[in-house]
Amino acid sequence: MAFNYDQYLRVDKMPTLWCWGCGDGVILKSFIRAIDKLGINKDDMCLVSGIGCSGRFSSYVDMNTVHTTHGRTIAFATGIKLANPDKHVVCVAGDGDALAIGGNHTIHGCRRNIDITLILINNFIYGLTNSQTSPTTPRGFWTVSQKAGNIDPTFDGCKLAEAAGASFVARETVNSPKKMEKIMVEALKHKGFSFVEINSNCHINLGRKNKMQSAMANLDWIDSITVSKKKWDEMPEEEKRNHLPLGILKQDTEALEYCAMYEEVKKAQQGQRGVITQDDFEKKI
Amino acid sequence: MAAMAAPENTPVWVNTSRCKACDICVDACPAGVLSMQQEATSILGAMISVVTPEACIGCQECELSCPDFAIYVAGRKEFKFAKLTDASKARQEAIAKNGYRLPTDYKEAN
Repeated sequence: MAFNYDQYLRVDKMPTLWCWGCGDGVILKSFIRAIDKLGINKDDMCLVSGIGCSGRFSSYVDMNTVHTTHGRTIAFATGIKLANPDKHVVCVAGDGDALAIGGNHTIHGCRRNIDITLILINNFIYGLTNSQTSPTTPRGFWTVSQKAGNIDPTFDGCKLAEAAGASFVARETVNSPKKMEKIMVEALKHKGFSFVEINSNCHINLGRKNKMQSAMANLDWIDSITVSKKKWDEMPEEEKRNHLPLGILKQDTEALEYCAMYEEVKKAQQGQRGVITQDDFEKKI
Repeated sequence: MAAMAAPENTPVWVNTSRCKACDICVDACPAGVLSMQQEATSILGAMISVVTPEACIGCQECELSCPDFAIYVAGRKEFKFAKLTDASKARQEAIAKNGYRLPTDYKEAN
């Protein structure tokens, strides 16, 4: 028995518009398997995507979908989640979408710890618009906007989310679809903001001038810069700088979830309880 | 689970209308089951083909790594899969070396 993805897809839109070998398809498959494993009804789910190659996610999955403006996935998703607290809301955004133009929305979504799952597809470049430097492009890489080599330092999305207050932070690569599926299951189950960064390949726009012309070469490069969290912890400092840890990096089930607090606000507004004071919170500032 | 029944006596099958010939499944296969073949009418001028279905070990690596929902592997109950042999490994190496295409004059090393 092979897994039948068609049940969750808009099959009339197939084949996908992504380039041959694009990691987005592997991520979409893992996401579908994770939903199927959890047995979530696709009508109880809303997928919000922004602009970029990752924005095509909302076109291919057969569920409630919103294709929003550039970088505003978290803003739209927050509204959807507050209006439908019993539904699952998933955001899919690229590295440019969630860390550059939508960087502010991402950190404030993390700060509120609202029950949204953000799948950040990090392909280290602006792929859709043909190779401009993104906040995660490694130093020394050729890009259209920095033809002499990129000199900008990079963002570490997971560290950013952790510091901003997300209660679930994980990173995985498209090299291991089964592990990615497990992490997505954990992220969907988690109550609170789940930040999942998936390192993906873009051999067409990142690889073509950086000696990674094929998908396999690009995937090998991703493999060489990532190690499991356990191995990363044992690495000396100078090696840590050039590697990214994989796996669940933070999981805090105690943190206050925003929708639960918003219910209290609703009650206070309806006169069912007094106004919210500092006594309602353990962590006051 | 959303399941799809395998066609009779088939370990691996392909939806050719979705395949974009990215070579990923051929690279992922450890047993030299898959190979690209020339096809003038498809996007990159190539199309995936199952060259030695009898060598399939049922590891599902090709299905998991395919980004285009194009390739499927039968379940363990549906097909009696082979074991990974040295001949399979050698064939896989030859396919990978030859630009993910099975050399036309390739002879099985028994």
